[in-house]
Amino acid sequence: MENGKYRHTVRELYDFIQSRLYFNRPDIRVGEEEFNSTLLFTLLTALTGGKALIIGEPGLGKTTAAEYVGSLLYQLPVGTVWASEVGGHPEQTEEKIIGRPDLGKLNQGQEEVVWSHFVQLPVKIVDEINRLPETKQSMILDGVDRGNWEYLNEMIRNSEYCLFATANYQDQGTNTIIAPLLDRFDVMVESRHPGPSYGFLISQRQEKEELLRHPDLERKLQEALKKRSSPEEKDSQIAAISEAFGAHLQESLQLPTLDHTSRTKVREQIGSIALEQDANAYARMLLAELSFCDRHGQKRSNEVCEEGCHYTGYLCHRLRNCASNRLPVSLSNYAKALAWFTEASTVGIEEMRAVGPYCLAHRAQWTDTHLSLLQKDRRNDPLQIHLAREAMNEVFQRYSEQAEHVKEALATAYRIFQGESLEPVAGDHPIYVEIRKDLNLEE
Amino acid sequence: MFNPFEDFKEFLSKAKTLPLDRLSAAHDQIMAELTSGYGKLVEQELKSLVWFVEHNRVIEAYKTATEVIKDLSYDAHSIEDFCYVLDSGVDIPYLISGPAGIYVAALCNHVAEDKIVLRLDEMKRTLHFLGYRLPYGKSLRIEGDTGNFTGSALQGGDITVTGATGDWTGAGMTEGKISIHKNCGRNTGEWMQGGEIWVDSRIRGLGRITSGQVYQAGEAVVDSLMA
Repeated sequence: MENGKYRHTVRELYDFIQSRLYFNRPDIRVGEEEFNSTLLFTLLTALTGGKALIIGEPGLGKTTAAEYVGSLLYQLPVGTVWASEVGGHPEQTEEKIIGRPDLGKLNQGQEEVVWSHFVQLPVKIVDEINRLPETKQSMILDGVDRGNWEYLNEMIRNSEYCLFATANYQDQGTNTIIAPLLDRFDVMVESRHPGPSYGFLISQRQEKEELLRHPDLERKLQEALKKRSSPEEKDSQIAAISEAFGAHLQESLQLPTLDHTSRTKVREQIGSIALEQDANAYARMLLAELSFCDRHGQKRSNEVCEEGCHYTGYLCHRLRNCASNRLPVSLSNYAKALAWFTEASTVGIEEMRAVGPYCLAHRAQWTDTHLSLLQKDRRNDPLQIHLAREAMNEVFQRYSEQAEHVKEALATAYRIFQGESLEPVAGDHPIYVEIRKDLNLEE
Repeated sequence: MFNPFEDFKEFLSKAKTLPLDRLSAAHDQIMAELTSGYGKLVEQELKSLVWFVEHNRVIEAYKTATEVIKDLSYDAHSIEDFCYVLDSGVDIPYLISGPAGIYVAALCNHVAEDKIVLRLDEMKRTLHFLGYRLPYGKSLRIEGDTGNFTGSALQGGDITVTGATGDWTGAGMTEGKISIHKNCGRNTGEWMQGGEIWVDSRIRGLGRITSGQVYQAGEAVVDSLMA
């Protein structure tokens, strides 16, 4: 019953943003429904406490999508969200992003940290992250990963947070996002041009940001954030003001929102959704192709895949790097969140295939040969997402052909692992070799 | 150390079968489901042992047929096979040509494919109502003869019959096209509201046609025959 209530609220929020705030075309289909991928994945990111990288041309709503979703999912007036954003530029400093010494206290010989709003609030937006020099990107690595922010000898921990970072396409002022930071993003989506009709509509609806403003509560939040109080006291003050903003949205827009307790329950519900065996086996098959190397034991970005290998038909031959352990975490979390959002009782292959391209796109480093072969493909997605989608489809094709055999191999492996004297199931795919390795049977 | 394959502990492998066995089993299953659906329709429709062709009765039978097939999984080939199951009489308690034809028509109208071919020339008997309410966008080719009411209440579909049709062909059709390579019976096009009936050979008699056209050997015949 509660499950339905929360889902209904989140659906209402999605519909509200889609119809009043962020106009764009649907570009992803799940079952019978169509969604806009930017909106869907920013929403799932906010719901799960994930991290999303939103790419796109300047002025196509990357930051605003994150601001609207963050504001509504966390009951924060959009003015507060704006005030806590970190802008990516070469002069950005740790003192502006994370915290600074309290100068008054420092003059009295005491060391106390004044934490930035970015660090304190659960909705974190880094605008144009690829304008941060590579050396400064590492400043936010730990905080992004674990919610731990350190300055001087003090530390602050976020119990609940989500991160959105936007990035423009490469130009003179942009830098490469360092691989460890890139890998920490669960998903990457493109905020696309909405097309001329929706685009023109945006010019007619300029008052839309006012819907999520509340100057009085924004001021109160500002004061609460500035206050020197214990983290518990501050959290409870922020929660009270957020709930007041939620009540305001309900009253003025008849729009229900989720408070901290509800969001926690939603996360519990999402976490409890089970994976179907097919989704599980398909994900293992995908991971096998993304990490396998017959010659060198595993993929490594500093090693080259030689021609003439038996496995040149698989993804491993076209990749330069190895899939990290964060990829299956993102896949699983987002597939579960999508299943929850679309009222599926379990996670099936469909959910895996829907979220997969967005989880894989920024993490896969393809070989130049592969890039040159596919970059001229007719497509709607940016190249990275297109390549990831093609890769997912290819593995799905292989899985469909041998689903029962793969599951049989995994089930037999279970029994061998338990001590039964059986022969592992053989087959022509990296997964069968990896299973033998898990059973300590591979030479 | 924990078992990394724990999730597949309960996996039950399917018994290995030859592909032909699987195909045959799947086919038998579909036929059983279609037969069971027909049984439900007959149960609903045959309160007595006589089935009358009345307008309301036909509509009611079609409605029931649509209801009983809605969850069935089948394709165009299965419809053809099912016609022979009907014809054989095996597992079919009562073959009444009217409800049987309406049932087949409902199957055709709701199958996923747009093009349906029924090779019925080896059937011992003919079915009535084939092509009943065939909607726009669907084409039905029937190889062999059909019974009465072929293509009646046609709703924009395209029907070709390589043999002959019985009486009341195209009765009440609103749009679409019926092509008959041989003869057709009496009351052809009765209460026809639109569309076309093309007959290559003889038309035994036309019904009262409101609108639409009937052609015999390429010549429009509505005016001359009715006059």
